[in-house]
Amino acid sequence: MSLVVPIVIFMSLAIISAIVALETKHLMISIISLIFMNIFVWAVFMFFHADLLAWIQLIVYGGGLTALFLVVVVLTEKQTDEMFDWKKTTFAALFSGLTVGILIGVFLAFDETKLTFTGSVTSPAGAMSEMWVNRPTDLIIQALLFFATAVAIGALFVKNKTDSRKEEIKS
Amino acid sequence: MMDQILLLIFATILFGVGLYALLGKRNIIKILMGIEIMTVAVNIVFIALGTDLDNRTFNQFTIVFPLISLAVGAAVMALGLAIVINNYRHVKSVDADEMATLKR
Repeated sequence: MSLVVPIVIFMSLAIISAIVALETKHLMISIISLIFMNIFVWAVFMFFHADLLAWIQLIVYGGGLTALFLVVVVLTEKQTDEMFDWKKTTFAALFSGLTVGILIGVFLAFDETKLTFTGSVTSPAGAMSEMWVNRPTDLIIQALLFFATAVAIGALFVKNKTDSRKEEIKS
Repeated sequence: MMDQILLLIFATILFGVGLYALLGKRNIIKILMGIEIMTVAVNIVFIALGTDLDNRTFNQFTIVFPLISLAVGAAVMALGLAIVINNYRHVKSVDADEMATLKR
């Protein structure tokens, strides 16, 4: 297991980059740290042979969304940085630390034989066809959920517009 | 199997970092960064639980769901950043506490 050492190094660097991205006062440094985090996560994915996801993740999150963040930071510049709130920060750190501790405990308590893998798909097309053959109910429920969400959001927009028109007529 | 546990722990710590940002930060841009980190962590869990490292094969859910998650996550980020800019035009701030109501 000679690959364990570089994997652990890249994981640690990704975690450090994420913490730096959230804790630094300058938003530009924050964005640069986010790019580095995405690159380190890309490296971890490549170690685990998830090439397609690694590249798409790097392109979408490391490229596209970072550009969006950059645009937003430039458009909202000259911001005074947030005040450090001890109470809120301590609560958040304690809560997230507790959650992480419990989850890691659960993972370590797993029976490792139950984490065995069942499947033999190597391409997205094969995955889709296998899902369609084996789990059509899941796909249908997902499609229904997407449709219901779209209808609900559309209805909200329509209601908002009619309300604002009524207010305009009243005024 | 050791790599799998390692990956799960890594994903959990990243998720915790994102959760910390979600709970402890007031800058909306940093909160959105926390959500992005949490989405990445969830994708890592998918990889950890559905990959066979010896044969280099994947469970069907491991390939499809992270891609859906990426697409939905990107859409959520874009929407959130659009809301940030729209809110900034009204209140001249990116502080979440000053965004008490969206109706302005």
